[in-house]
Amino acid sequence: MNHEKQWRPDRGASAVSAERLCKRYKNAPAPALNDLSLEVRQGEFYGLLGPNGAGKTTVISIIAGLVPPDYGTIRVMGMTFQKERNEIKRIAAVVPQEIGLYDKLTAIENLVFFGKICGIRGKKLTERVQYALEFARLTGHARSQVATFSVGMKRRLNLAVGLLGDPRLLILDEPCVGIDAQSRNLIHEQLTAINRRGTTIIYTTHYMEEAQQLCGRIGIIDNGRLIQEGTPVILLQQRGKANLEELFLDLTGKGLRDS
Amino acid sequence: MMKVFPAIIKELLTLVRDRAGLLVLFLMPAILVVVITLVQENILELTGQKNFKVLFLDSDQGGLGKLLREQLASGNLELVVQDAKQARVGDIEAAVANGEYQAGIVIPPGASRRFQKAAARLLQPDQGAARPQDSLVTSLYLFMDPAMMAGSRAAITGRLQNALAAIALEVKLSMLSKTMQAALDRLGVPPGSTPLANEKLAVLFRQPLLAVTENQVGGQSGGVPQYNPVQQNVPAWALFGMFFTAIPIAGSIIRERTSGVWTRLMTLPVSPLALFAGKAFAYIGVCFCQFLLIALIGIFLFPLLGLPAFIIATKLPAVLLALLLSSLAACGYGIFLGLACNSYEQASTLGATTVVAAAAIGGVMVPVYAMPHTMQRLSIISPINWGLDAIHALLLRGAALPAVYGDFGRLFLFFAVCAFLAWKLALTRQ
Repeated sequence: MNHEKQWRPDRGASAVSAERLCKRYKNAPAPALNDLSLEVRQGEFYGLLGPNGAGKTTVISIIAGLVPPDYGTIRVMGMTFQKERNEIKRIAAVVPQEIGLYDKLTAIENLVFFGKICGIRGKKLTERVQYALEFARLTGHARSQVATFSVGMKRRLNLAVGLLGDPRLLILDEPCVGIDAQSRNLIHEQLTAINRRGTTIIYTTHYMEEAQQLCGRIGIIDNGRLIQEGTPVILLQQRGKANLEELFLDLTGKGLRDS
Repeated sequence: MMKVFPAIIKELLTLVRDRAGLLVLFLMPAILVVVITLVQENILELTGQKNFKVLFLDSDQGGLGKLLREQLASGNLELVVQDAKQARVGDIEAAVANGEYQAGIVIPPGASRRFQKAAARLLQPDQGAARPQDSLVTSLYLFMDPAMMAGSRAAITGRLQNALAAIALEVKLSMLSKTMQAALDRLGVPPGSTPLANEKLAVLFRQPLLAVTENQVGGQSGGVPQYNPVQQNVPAWALFGMFFTAIPIAGSIIRERTSGVWTRLMTLPVSPLALFAGKAFAYIGVCFCQFLLIALIGIFLFPLLGLPAFIIATKLPAVLLALLLSSLAACGYGIFLGLACNSYEQASTLGATTVVAAAAIGGVMVPVYAMPHTMQRLSIISPINWGLDAIHALLLRGAALPAVYGDFGRLFLFFAVCAFLAWKLALTRQ
């Protein structure tokens, strides 16, 4: 089955453009985002790193249109949520950190439901569901309830649902939390392949090794600000560090953020 | 609109696989309607539809006992005649006191003879006194179950007094007829020239001259079933079950919100309205199934348990509309709860408390007319009362559709307010 995209990215053009984003949640002692700007180009695999509470999820939520910024502008593929919310939702997909699946439904029922909600119908839906099942290596478990799945199977399906609409922008919030090495490896391979075919990926993770391996460019956020951005290789050279974890601790400090 | 259908199917599939939830939704109102209707037999007593078991001991063995049994034979008294040679007054008293029988009647020895003598003395020349004389009264003993309601006591006492008055009247008329005949014979009046001195006298005295004609109010007497616990409880507990669906609806929304499903859905090109509509349509179907189940219990099971059958033959389209609006109100409340509460525990506690309270003040457990005045006035705030009032008006009073527009309007307004608040909360939660 041919799942190659019709759409080709305009490499170099902006996929996500965030300018001077500010966000403070009600009753929060400090702003979640404080004048944060970042640019993700089409076809990029962009890693968003930061300690707990740094503002990663807020950035992702704003890019996904889940929360509006208090100040600043956000553009996705040149479009704004004020004018083209539904169009953005059609071309961008978010894979939440939590498992966004119905436990009581089977894998195929979940895929069909979310596919129809994305507006996919008929033969295309059948193809996309089949693709998603193959992607998640769950063809043999298509008619099993998600409640019976292991964490790894749920994570793979969670990710596969995000691919149903063939998104141009894929936003992944810690997609490999709590899974075994085999599932993680499969997800890494699949994401790399998807990115090569042109999908822009924004990826948040706490695993530095994972970010170093997958991401073409990373941005490190702390206290609601983008404190460092660039390719892993260049960042490591600039700071004279052996690996991304050392660089991360050097930039954000070793003190616990949630104690 | 195309996205509502997958939402409905998803909701129904999720619901069908939640067997515990289904049991609560269907079994709970089914059990409650059977148990409460059986327990509420006292309403049958209140409405005079219950048969009372009455022990009857004729220690006299004269004519009075036979006449009394004949008088009490028809109606709702089930006489259990005791063997006068074996039973004693104390046995009757004990059997009634322990609740085995609702009442006991004892005719003491010599009662018939005293009664006949008193009747004969009534027309003696020396009985010219203008006031009743206690010495002429023959007393029977009546024992009543102390746990019986006042209305039931009055019903039994009334039946007995009517029967005794009829027997006394017959005997008095017979005596009067004989006395008159003797007097007319002495005067030489030819037989048959006056109705005062023959058997016609008794017939003449029995002829009723005043009567009460009971009319059904609402002008729809034909086909309208009589009020009874079944007609009260079937729609009442069905509505209770229907409003209880608010809890699983809220639960399903909270599960979506606390998992990543809600986040995912909010990033997809779908309006929360379509998702809520999917939930509402699915649960409206559940509500109709609940009503169907409870109605079938009322129609087929209740007669087997000795209760009257539930009758829903009249005004079916209007009743269905009442059910639709009640279901909408329940679903709207469930969606609101799902967005207002932060955990399933919160939603289930708040939902169960409010639904039970709405049921209590809405006339599910006790009919509104039997409540204290303050509670009757309070019942107007209960959406369950609006639905129940509309169904009762349609089924029992034979009301036309315009008569329940007020209840329908309130139900729809309740749904609209809940849906609006849910919509605002959904935007906030987003």
